[in-house]
Amino acid sequence: MFLTFLSLQWKSFFRGESVGANVMAKIFKWFWILYFAFLTPILGLITYKVIKEDFQVDDPFLFLNKNLIYVFGYWIVMRYFIQPIPVVSIKPLLLTPISKTKIVRQTLGKSIFSFFNLIAFFYLIPLTFELVDNGYLINNLIGWNLTIIAIVYITNYLNFLLNNNDKLLYGIGLMLAIIKLLEYFSIFDFTVYSEALFYSFYVNPLFAIVPWLFLIWLYFYVFKFFKNGLYIDSGLKKKTTEAKIDDFSWLDRFGKTAIFLKNDLRLIKRSKRARSTVIAGIFFLFYGFIFYFQEDIWGSWMTFFGYLFASGGFLFMFGSFVPSWDSQYYSFMMCQNIEYIEYIKSKWSLVVIGTVISTFLACFIYSFLGVEAVYAVFAGGLYNIGVNGYLTLWAGAFTKTPVDLDSSKMAFGGKKAFNMKTLLISLPQMVLPIALFSLGSYYYSYLAGCLIVGFTGILGILLKKQVFNLIIKAYKSEKYSTLKAYKQT
Amino acid sequence: MITLKNITKNYSKDTVLDITSLEIPAGQTFGLVGNNGAGKTTMFSCLLDLIKPSTGQVINNNVEIAKSEKWKSFTSAFLDDTFLIGYLMPEEYFYFVGELRGLSKKQVDNFLIQFEVFFHGEILGGKKYLRDLSKGNQKKAGVVAALLGEPKVVVLDEPFANLDPSTQIRLKEILKDLSKNKETTILVSSHDIQDVTEVCERIVLLEKGKIIKDIVTSPKTLKELEAYFKG
Repeated sequence: MFLTFLSLQWKSFFRGESVGANVMAKIFKWFWILYFAFLTPILGLITYKVIKEDFQVDDPFLFLNKNLIYVFGYWIVMRYFIQPIPVVSIKPLLLTPISKTKIVRQTLGKSIFSFFNLIAFFYLIPLTFELVDNGYLINNLIGWNLTIIAIVYITNYLNFLLNNNDKLLYGIGLMLAIIKLLEYFSIFDFTVYSEALFYSFYVNPLFAIVPWLFLIWLYFYVFKFFKNGLYIDSGLKKKTTEAKIDDFSWLDRFGKTAIFLKNDLRLIKRSKRARSTVIAGIFFLFYGFIFYFQEDIWGSWMTFFGYLFASGGFLFMFGSFVPSWDSQYYSFMMCQNIEYIEYIKSKWSLVVIGTVISTFLACFIYSFLGVEAVYAVFAGGLYNIGVNGYLTLWAGAFTKTPVDLDSSKMAFGGKKAFNMKTLLISLPQMVLPIALFSLGSYYYSYLAGCLIVGFTGILGILLKKQVFNLIIKAYKSEKYSTLKAYKQT
Repeated sequence: MITLKNITKNYSKDTVLDITSLEIPAGQTFGLVGNNGAGKTTMFSCLLDLIKPSTGQVINNNVEIAKSEKWKSFTSAFLDDTFLIGYLMPEEYFYFVGELRGLSKKQVDNFLIQFEVFFHGEILGGKKYLRDLSKGNQKKAGVVAALLGEPKVVVLDEPFANLDPSTQIRLKEILKDLSKNKETTILVSSHDIQDVTEVCERIVLLEKGKIIKDIVTSPKTLKELEAYFKG
């Protein structure tokens, strides 16, 4: 039975159109898995020490229990975004002589070994050793560990229920924010209860039986929920929402570009996949802070890298899937009354408008860090518009992975558009501006570094016509194979 | 006028399309029939520059398709559901196509009035995106969008498939009306020989990429085609 499922997955993987991209995506995925599998145990080992010394806490274990409520909250939210739920691939199996119970058991059973669950063990085992080392009682810790594991699996099965239920998710997110705010303003401190609750499993290890009973109940609940949902008109059906016309006619002043701009805005508004990509891009705005606070360690060029990213969120997240966003109806676009170059230009305009907005937002955000930061952000923005915009668009001609607009999974779940060319262009996109900046700031001054990067961007903007002639050549020669690849969804 | 000269399309060793010469005069209603794999969709795709033929050239009203994109301004098509933008509402979809053809919203609205019966109240003013419509209703929207903006050439692949009987009859009437003015060249493919003989003035039968029959439609045509397909 298991082998049949496995061989089906194997075939769907290797017989796909973009095997190369698939393999790259798999390699990338395994890279991250190994990365975390390596990092997590280390994290487990140093948790105790870091909390004790850096946070100046007397009892790190109590501190840990206190914050567990947040950990589980974020855990659920993160799972929702990146853990794939294998619902769609079930449909063709319905008419086969495999019993429904078996299909569900298989699906739910497989998730036990999901990386998102196993990672908990990677963390808990070294942590427990450290705790025992520091005088905590091993028997009591076993009870505590069992509790945590039960809760991890509870979040696993909750995710099955949460899938495709945005409202529930936003509810949880809002609750977390409120709890944190109440704590911050010292109105009501939930963490006291979190501490008491989770610590009680340490004091009375037998209490661990309660979460396990709940887990078992939840498993059967999800089992029933899933089994009842195995009809194409209920559980397996895609949810539909009531449609409303979006006019956007105020955009008409942008001429022919506006026609496409309006559609792209609707795309972002109505497609889950596009929406979550743009939201992910917004988080990029704060990227600069990461390196700003660690400037002593990394040096100013890394801070500049952060600033460059800050204005490029939309470009890197949304832009790198251009024109794949139109993959589902690409042949339609190719037959409309618009020349290919006009179409590509309109896509470029979209990316540029997004980048201009991000640049201004980033300038505003980083103005709190002083005028130097604003210079760097602005220079980075110019570079993103004048150079990276073209490069992303040019790479798009070779990125032939169709985008499924109706699924929301990214990164781990969906096939991200990977191929060698896309990876290679990240060099001039990232390395070149940093090199230019370092050159200027090393020999002259910080400001000179920013100026060089900024002027490179302006130069790129001025060369628009020439660059577009090159880009359109790539698009025209790739047109037919792109059309063929997009037919494969 | 549309001219195909020495068009072939090969996939490794298989030849899926092999047309030495085909001329479709302006204003003709042209029907393409043939079994699965006969090359109907491939021929239409070559005509729309969606597939690059291995040899030969396609000329659409003096524009060589491989060299210029000018044909796009007077040609429109509906081949399959990749011609629909799923996240748009039907109205938005019509406005989008209309805008690209230089029509204002009002002009599009006026154009759509004549299709009220055809739409049967299921397309306009609903609360659904195109992706949530049934296959038949999606097709209705797609076909009507292809008629927007008075194109000189309209290419429809299997327009009758998936439609309910009433809609099929209405679509045939729409196409017949359109062919009356003798200004629009209409290219239609179908598995249903009865539908094609009813609508088209001329019928070309493809098999394994080659033209087997090229007939001017007469009362005998249906019998002739039936006899052929019986084997």
